[in-house]
Amino acid sequence: MTDVQITQTTAAPQAETEGLSPGQELRQRMLGHTGFLIGAGLITLVVLIAIFAPLLAPHDPYAQSLANRMLPPIWQEGGSADYLLGTDQNGRDYLSRLIYGTRISVTIGIGAATIGLLIGVTFGVLAGYFGGWVDHVISFLLTAQLALPGLLLAMALVFIIGPSIWVVIGIVGVLHWTYYLVVTRSATQRLRSLDFVAASAASGASAPQIILHEILPNLIPQIIVIFTFELGISILAELSLSFLGVGIQPPTPSWGLMIAEGKQAMFFRPWLVILPGICLFLLVIGANLMGDGLRDITSPEGRNG
Amino acid sequence: MLKYIALKGLLAILVAFTASLAAFLLLNVASDPAQAIAGEDATPDVVETIRIRYGLDRPVYERYLSWLAGVATGDFGESYYWHKPVAELVADRADETLTLALSALFVTILIAVPLGALAGLNPNSWIDRAALGVAVSAQAIPNFWLGLIMIILFAVMIPIFPVSGDNTWYHFVLPAIVLGASSVPAVMRLTRTGLIEVMGADYIRTARAKGFRGNALLRRHALRNAILPVISVLAVQLGQKFGGSVITESIFAINGLGRLALESILGADIPTVQMLIFVFAIVFVAMNLLADILNAALDPRIRIG
Amino acid sequence: MQFQKILRRAVLSAAVLGASSAAFAGSEDDTLRVAMAEEILNLDYNYTTKREYIILAQLTDAKLFEFDPDTQDVLPSVATSYEWVDDTTLDVVLRSDVQFHDASPLTARDVAYSYNWLRSAESESNATGVVERWLENAEVIAPDRVRFHMTAVYPLVLRDMSSRIMLRKEGTYDAGGEINRDAMASDLISTGPYRVESFEPGTELVLKRFDGYFGDAPAIETIVVRNIPDIGTQQAEMMSGGIDWVFKVPEDVATAADAHPDVDFLSGPDLRIGFLVLDAGGWSDPEGPMTKVKVRQAVNHALNTEEIAQYLMGGSSQAIHTACHPAQFGCDQSVTRYGYDPERAKALLAEAGYPDGFPLDLWAYRDKPVSEAIAANLTAVGIDVNLRYVKLESLNQARAARDIPVYFGTWGSGGTADTAAIARIHFADGDRNLSRDAALTEMILAAEQTADPDKRKALYTKALGRIADQAYWAPLMSYTANYLVASDLDFPLSPDGLPRLQNARWK
Repeated sequence: MTDVQITQTTAAPQAETEGLSPGQELRQRMLGHTGFLIGAGLITLVVLIAIFAPLLAPHDPYAQSLANRMLPPIWQEGGSADYLLGTDQNGRDYLSRLIYGTRISVTIGIGAATIGLLIGVTFGVLAGYFGGWVDHVISFLLTAQLALPGLLLAMALVFIIGPSIWVVIGIVGVLHWTYYLVVTRSATQRLRSLDFVAASAASGASAPQIILHEILPNLIPQIIVIFTFELGISILAELSLSFLGVGIQPPTPSWGLMIAEGKQAMFFRPWLVILPGICLFLLVIGANLMGDGLRDITSPEGRNG
Repeated sequence: MLKYIALKGLLAILVAFTASLAAFLLLNVASDPAQAIAGEDATPDVVETIRIRYGLDRPVYERYLSWLAGVATGDFGESYYWHKPVAELVADRADETLTLALSALFVTILIAVPLGALAGLNPNSWIDRAALGVAVSAQAIPNFWLGLIMIILFAVMIPIFPVSGDNTWYHFVLPAIVLGASSVPAVMRLTRTGLIEVMGADYIRTARAKGFRGNALLRRHALRNAILPVISVLAVQLGQKFGGSVITESIFAINGLGRLALESILGADIPTVQMLIFVFAIVFVAMNLLADILNAALDPRIRIG
Repeated sequence: MQFQKILRRAVLSAAVLGASSAAFAGSEDDTLRVAMAEEILNLDYNYTTKREYIILAQLTDAKLFEFDPDTQDVLPSVATSYEWVDDTTLDVVLRSDVQFHDASPLTARDVAYSYNWLRSAESESNATGVVERWLENAEVIAPDRVRFHMTAVYPLVLRDMSSRIMLRKEGTYDAGGEINRDAMASDLISTGPYRVESFEPGTELVLKRFDGYFGDAPAIETIVVRNIPDIGTQQAEMMSGGIDWVFKVPEDVATAADAHPDVDFLSGPDLRIGFLVLDAGGWSDPEGPMTKVKVRQAVNHALNTEEIAQYLMGGSSQAIHTACHPAQFGCDQSVTRYGYDPERAKALLAEAGYPDGFPLDLWAYRDKPVSEAIAANLTAVGIDVNLRYVKLESLNQARAARDIPVYFGTWGSGGTADTAAIARIHFADGDRNLSRDAALTEMILAAEQTADPDKRKALYTKALGRIADQAYWAPLMSYTANYLVASDLDFPLSPDGLPRLQNARWK
């Protein structure tokens, strides 16, 4: 499941932006953008680790050994070569858990950003295209959503459905559609007033046809940029949920959960928090750099909302 | 203009009611206030006694209606935990959060605006890259992490500031930095892009052609125009900080609304959650309105209506 | 790793600075500064239940009797003696010199009022359920005597009197006919060794030694209780000398913090035990695997409780094999013990018709590492475990809906060292009893209908033996009470695990 999603999305940007500008020029711009290269490199690395986790991990990430719990990393006093990055509170190999953790983070990031995309873009296009009362209702939903504490929503949903990675993805996705909405709404408004849309309407195309064939394709660059940012935001949101105890369920090796579990002893065993923290930091930075880069590349003026 | 404000005010109240209804329903399915009040080792009869004491044995719709009836007369009910009117409770705590939110905003401005201005005036220079690096990193650092690091560095290692509490302004320095840091990326980016855009605008080119140079030019035109969107974003950020300081307040043991919100959600203190959501919604909409008005007042080209 | 060096140095420099910041807290101003994560909102223990409130009630309230946690003896307190008139009538003689915090004297009328108020349905007190079990009414028969008329024989009456019922002035809750259940919530007027100096709910409570207290005066003059929700912040305050005492400290944190010269780690026993409750009665599934005794025995054999107690709980935690804490009265240790034996567990599962295991939802609400270790143990013998780690309220609701095949429960017995305090709620009343064993319930209830210790003991032995043979539970381990205290504080530990701050003194 995870792997399928990953290959789809990494392939998407090139394939779809090609329609907008000559592919060669685009590729050149990408190669000339340092931030984008670093970001894309980090993301690719994480995705590769996620795919090849079983080959890379030295231990079973779920195998416990209570007698070997809380071992420090190898460069610390008491560290062991069997456990390069030490063990957690149940004596599981930390390196293996970090490696398998990439799968969770990548799945959550992509899954949640996709759900947010579906909701936000649908609402944004509808509000921007139809205007009037549709726009008012959607703006109202937007404000109500922003006013409602996400924590509350998360707790309620986790309670009703029971906690699992899919519930977490759903919650994070449902909480992160507003950015898509705001951007696609104003972009749709702008597109709608353009000649080619009017021409299409005059030639008898229905609203769904216009939206699908004229509006949506033109929104794709912006949507991809937001998607990349939301990737990072969703991964951080999982951390907050796990931190507050309504996120990923143990014993799943999630970086957020690992930080939350290690936090209580962070003054004395800082690596339990620092190691997953670094992984998370790199992945989120990668997503942000890639988002920044894509924005610059798809709109050379460097401005896109 | 007045009509616009009245409309927005109405929207705020509508949003507040919608959010509070959603919160009411969610809390009722997500938790059991009687059990939460009674605690871990409570016997069933104690839980039952509490349920009756707070009228929690009545149907959900009946309780919501009686809450609505109370609100109509300005009575937001009494907290299950605190045994005092919720309105009083919220009013008591509001000043701590307001102090924190305002000082955090001050920190944000102090860091983000100069950094953004420097970056915007020297696009693609090393300053720009460094500033962008700061922004990207700040986005990827979880709030609680920064809080604990600040405590380790400036309260335990170099004890300049107290670890926790909210008795003096001294107590607010570290929390303000932590909470303020979270808005730095957004505000900095906005200042930067604003300046780049303004510097590239026609009238600046004209001014340059007329012989304006350096600082005079910057003062007169660029900064004033670039700052417009920043001001409105600051108003929105203030609104978000007002309700978004949960983790900061918990870490530094500040008795503000954020901590009250978290604890009343976890403890299923429905009347308190209801009123907080009400207040947050209104503050949120009010700040957005303020942003619109500021924009209109500062920029004669914008007319709202 | 650079960061770690910084942290090391931070901890070390905190140690150095500890000396200079000692003036902050502690012995200098005779003020004991305590941190609690849980918010303190109501000071009237008649209307609260949580552990934090029991600790505070020890300071602010005096009860009719005191139970000696070391010897299990009843000690005089507000009452000097008691006398059984018959099986269901108890006379209590009061001291004459007991004062309330407002300097007014306590009378027999106050005592009778307190009990009768809590007995009444309109009090809606958290103590009502307990008092209802045995009290008919309390009657003043002399200026220093109260007679308690009881509804039934009840062996735990003195225990209840010494723990659950706080004494209030006559008319406290219904002065002028108007009921005010929050009358004592913040401006508490009671008879204990400390009085309330100031109280800001959820932030800070200041207690001062009460000079009019009839008993031995506590050593420390002022106790300040601060609410600090974050455990990391608590540690930082502890190391920088801002607080002197904190409890419920995880083992890992406690042992590490012990290295700090100004901080001591104390670990004492706790009456709380952990256990798995198995749905033997088939509530969640009438044909479910847990209805088979061999499966339940297999679960018992699968758990490495020794390792869990030693490594995950630490301190004074011990593996247990009874459905009660070994220190409790009547908790016979001679019942069947299922040792850790995964092979035997697999064999039993195969005999029961599950050679390939079965899917199982394991519910838990606290001690995540222990929950994960249990799940791993069960997985190791072939059971396909799905761990559902949820909030306590969620677990309780699911249990009430009869949806739980197995859960990891814990019980603190309210600090009462008697099997009655754990047996009744788990095998007689309510939805915690998944055994569906009427004969067992009968034994448990019978044990509460006699005041004869030998008879009670025999009944509990029989009941606990049946629980063990039928493997209704998989008992896990006893808990440990972990504290971090400033090194200049002498804080004696109690065998029942209840922290008694009134006994603390400076070294």
